[in-house]
Amino acid sequence: MSVIGILLILLKTISVVAVFLIHVMFVQYFERKAIGHMQSRLGPMRVGWHGILQPIADSIKLFFKEDIIPASSDKPIFYIAPIIGVIAAVSSLAVIPLWEGFSIANLNVGILYILALSSVGAYSVILGGWASNSKYSFLGGLRSSAQVISYEISMGLSLVGVMMMAGSTNLSDIVSAQDGRWFVIPQIIGFTVFFISALAETNRVPFDLPEAETELVSGFATEYSGMRWALFFMAEYAGMFVMSALAVVCFFGGWSGPGFWIFAYVPPVIWFLIKVYGFIFLYFWIRATLPRYRYDQLMRLGWKIFIPVALANIVITGVVKILWK
Amino acid sequence: MTATELIKKVFFIEVLQGLALTFKHMVSHSVTRQYPTEKREPVPGARGLHALVRDSETGKEKCVGCGLCAAMCPSQCIHIYTSEGDDHKKVVDRYEIEVLRCVFCALCVEACPFGALALTDFFEYSGYTREEFYYKKERLLENWDKYMAGDKGREYFEKFWRPKAIDFRTPVTATSEERKSV
Repeated sequence: MSVIGILLILLKTISVVAVFLIHVMFVQYFERKAIGHMQSRLGPMRVGWHGILQPIADSIKLFFKEDIIPASSDKPIFYIAPIIGVIAAVSSLAVIPLWEGFSIANLNVGILYILALSSVGAYSVILGGWASNSKYSFLGGLRSSAQVISYEISMGLSLVGVMMMAGSTNLSDIVSAQDGRWFVIPQIIGFTVFFISALAETNRVPFDLPEAETELVSGFATEYSGMRWALFFMAEYAGMFVMSALAVVCFFGGWSGPGFWIFAYVPPVIWFLIKVYGFIFLYFWIRATLPRYRYDQLMRLGWKIFIPVALANIVITGVVKILWK
Repeated sequence: MTATELIKKVFFIEVLQGLALTFKHMVSHSVTRQYPTEKREPVPGARGLHALVRDSETGKEKCVGCGLCAAMCPSQCIHIYTSEGDDHKKVVDRYEIEVLRCVFCALCVEACPFGALALTDFFEYSGYTREEFYYKKERLLENWDKYMAGDKGREYFEKFWRPKAIDFRTPVTATSEERKSV
């Protein structure tokens, strides 16, 4: 690879990560606004116009806050745990095709890469909970590991249907394979399983058991403060973005939009972002609506319902594919 | 499990109903008041900061120092010191309220037979020391001038805390001479 090629990739990476981190900041503002209005409140209003500068104020506050490290914690692991989470979440961005031909790395195993990195992200929660040496953090970490084991399987299985229909695990190829016929319609079962598993995978309500404010103070993040806590936070929102992007790519036609009238002139990346933000809004909407699952309910849902349903979906997809071709 | 229950479960009917409810709330108006810029009028008769009623005729406090308010006060935050003045009249030397201990029950206002004490509708007071909220007589009289001036004070007593002295006082027509003669 030439020097220019390497520089180009570096430039792409830096721009995507920079834009993405700003998005993460404002997604948090969007969440507070959306949930506020759903609860008949206003959300942030005082910093800037309708609180638009709130995320910047929050970032500055978090950045300069004291970084407390518990005396009895396992220090090296305590230091690196949040960083693992951020790295895993942000590097998933590398394979997401923002528009035709644009992804930092056009991997042939794109889906597997994202699934693998989301599992690595779970390590940050588990290690963070373990290294804090506190009851609440430990319970949060344990819950996270059990949750990841149950939901990773159903999430992977739910995407198998998509892989079979597209005949590829390359995300760009999956988008091209949809070509106006979004996979969400034939794969509606797969999509449902995928979306609910993604909620559990990103530790969002109603599956936010590792964090569980009402039971575990703040779960795995109890002992974290300042910038380290902010990294966990960033990893969670980045994970949400990646999972939404994966759902859009696999089930909602990625960057493609309606190709008629003025819609044809809208750049594909805008379509992609509209769909992704629609999904992120759905995350917030669900958070504002549903209570948290109990732990055994969560396990029962994962093992007894989603895994069999996802397996049945694979069988049906395979049979239909053989019969129609 | 009946068929309807199964359908409800498979299609997430109840979850969707919940989502519809939160969405309805999102597009409806918020109930938040943005407090410092958007203030709510206190309801009439709201119980806020204390004031001693200034008699418009004499320009001094109406209080006669009977001590009923201090006796009624459940948090014991009213301190009254009296002495004997000219003509064997009772003189209120000091009338002090520890506002920070007050629970704003307004039993003192209710107890006062002469309508000499009021709770104004002013509630936005703050300070850095406890001493600022140990109100002496002069400060309490100032509060009356500030927050209950004019008709407001009169209406306050007519509508909410009608003092017993109004209903049970000696008829004005009968002077003390007449009463002696009866």
